[in-house]
Amino acid sequence: MNLNSILKILLLIIPLTTNEIIAQIPADSTATDSLLLKQVEEQMQVNSQPAPQQTRSSLTFNPDIGLIGDFQGSYLSSGKKNLDYYLNETELSLQSVIDPYIRGDFFISFGRDPETHKYGVDVEEGYLTTLSLPAGLQLKAGKFKQAVGRINPVHAHALPFIDLPNAYVNYFGEEGLNDEGLSVSWLMPTKAFYQELVFQTTAGYSNSPSFARGENNRLVYLAHLKNFFTLNDNATLELGLTGISGGNDSSSVTNMGALDFTYKYKPVKLNTYHSFTWQNEFFYNNAKNRTLPSLNSFGLYSFVQYQTAKRWFLTGRYDYAQKPFDKSIVEQAYSLTAAWLATEFEKIEFEGKTTDNNIEKRFYQLWLRWIFVMGAHGAHQY
Amino acid sequence: MQLDYIKKINSNKINMKKRSVSFTVLLLCILSFAHAGAIKVVTTTTDMKSIAEFIGGDKVSVTSIATGYQNPHFVDPKPSYIIGLSKANLFVTVGLDLETGWSPQLLTSSRNNKIQKGSPGYVDASEGVTLYQVPTAANRGEGDIHIYGNPHYWLDPLNGKIIARNIANGLERVDPSNKSAYETNLKTFDDKIDVKMREWLTKMAPYKGTKIIAYHNEWVYFETRFGLHIVDFMEPKPGIPPTPSQMVKVINEVKANGIKVIISSPYFTTSSSDVVTKQTGAKTLTLATSTGAFDSIKSYFDLFDYDVAQLIAVLK
Repeated sequence: MNLNSILKILLLIIPLTTNEIIAQIPADSTATDSLLLKQVEEQMQVNSQPAPQQTRSSLTFNPDIGLIGDFQGSYLSSGKKNLDYYLNETELSLQSVIDPYIRGDFFISFGRDPETHKYGVDVEEGYLTTLSLPAGLQLKAGKFKQAVGRINPVHAHALPFIDLPNAYVNYFGEEGLNDEGLSVSWLMPTKAFYQELVFQTTAGYSNSPSFARGENNRLVYLAHLKNFFTLNDNATLELGLTGISGGNDSSSVTNMGALDFTYKYKPVKLNTYHSFTWQNEFFYNNAKNRTLPSLNSFGLYSFVQYQTAKRWFLTGRYDYAQKPFDKSIVEQAYSLTAAWLATEFEKIEFEGKTTDNNIEKRFYQLWLRWIFVMGAHGAHQY
Repeated sequence: MQLDYIKKINSNKINMKKRSVSFTVLLLCILSFAHAGAIKVVTTTTDMKSIAEFIGGDKVSVTSIATGYQNPHFVDPKPSYIIGLSKANLFVTVGLDLETGWSPQLLTSSRNNKIQKGSPGYVDASEGVTLYQVPTAANRGEGDIHIYGNPHYWLDPLNGKIIARNIANGLERVDPSNKSAYETNLKTFDDKIDVKMREWLTKMAPYKGTKIIAYHNEWVYFETRFGLHIVDFMEPKPGIPPTPSQMVKVINEVKANGIKVIISSPYFTTSSSDVVTKQTGAKTLTLATSTGAFDSIKSYFDLFDYDVAQLIAVLK
């Protein structure tokens, strides 16, 4: 290739490239400089300022988490080792709406064994609840505290006394009737007052003394009718009827009938200062046996609670209980509990109880309980 | 054989009976749905009710769960409230966790998926309100603090317009056919707020910067709008009842600043502020925090008429 041909090629290329270059440079170069300068200056300004705050949601899909501590001290008038302190229970709650159809509630309990003082983990409750069934229906599935009256569905830390009524413990145990299964509740279309019908069927593996799962498919069936009347703005009345039937440890059937009656006075205007509650539950138990005659027994409790000031509550309770295995053994007890509710997240209670029965000497018990709540804490039932 | 036949007839009869019963129940259900009539609105508080009535007019029937003389933080979730909620088309909440202790539980129990959070029939009236006292840390050692900010925002009448807009949006979602009526009512309401606002501000203007004491931290929106200055609270921390040391502190502040009035609400006892009154001569004034707090307060507008008149009478 000679020089001429190289020049020719160059001559062909140069106009193309220069054209491009010219196109990139605007006619007035000083205007370009100032525009560029302005842009740079603007950029610098932006850089020197702190980054603009982005309003990002801090929400997460984590469930509401709560932890409840229950510290107790106790004294019993009989026995040698009769004074004790313990962290009675630690309850972890995890609650969340799961999807548009159901919500989930879990309560994991770290409990202390009274004998060994070792802590064990238990699922106190773990269930789903439907949110959008038609016709006022709601379905629950999992492990749950069953719908017997007013004490059983409530977690121990929320009760107005530290011990449980004797009749209740005789029939359902310290853990209450808390079993695995299904629950259907129907909000009845009654207009004049609130009426809810609950039907539950459970496997029968709960620790309650009345019911046990045998070597067959005999489940526990429970029906509860709740009637709630608003007497006036300040007073309400609740009347509940419960029937339970299920297998027992004698390979037969136990039938129970229960009735609850609660009157509450809570003046709407100063409802955080004064209130009065009178609550009663009656239990009738019929335990059949394959070989022996069936056992009938009866028990009840009745308490009044009076709120003396914004943070002070006094609760007096009477217990009457026939032993389910022998109704001639009758327990009667009186107890008084004073509670100081520091805030919604802390309460201190002190309870004294005297128990008589017709086979041993009268005995006394004292308890101290300090409840403290961390994190989310759901509302309690009325 | 004959016996079997009779059994069959009987069982058929029973089946027919069952069928007719279930048919009747079904019919009743359909009838009850068809007979809906006015849009049923359930609000948590009376102020939301009053505004919903202004916006809804004759197209709605509104009920409020709380009364106007009740502490909105501590309403008892009585099952009887569930009856109204189960049939509601629209649910209006003040929001910002004001009702956290009672309304979520009632909503879940209502089994009414039309009014659950996120559904068209759920109205959070606080949407779009400029919030005060948003905490930078969530620490319950500070007492009853609200993580989203102070929830007593309806005590600024201009926020009433935002509430009204939110309620109108809700009504238009569940009842689009009456959109124009709701928009007209909203315009009328907003105009009335503007007119009344001028009147209230003019009346309160001479008292701009006046120092006062309040029982509970629920007046920040009212205080800011009307130019008052709350120096301290009777409660040492929100939700904690007055302590002797706090009362001494308040007495000294009242004396030092020449404070004339301690404002409280119908649902707090005045025993502690009465002590301060005795020691200093400052007056305890129970103001209305909601519509219906006193018999004369029939609407959201009456609420500010009442509070402004009461304050002026004492501060004059």
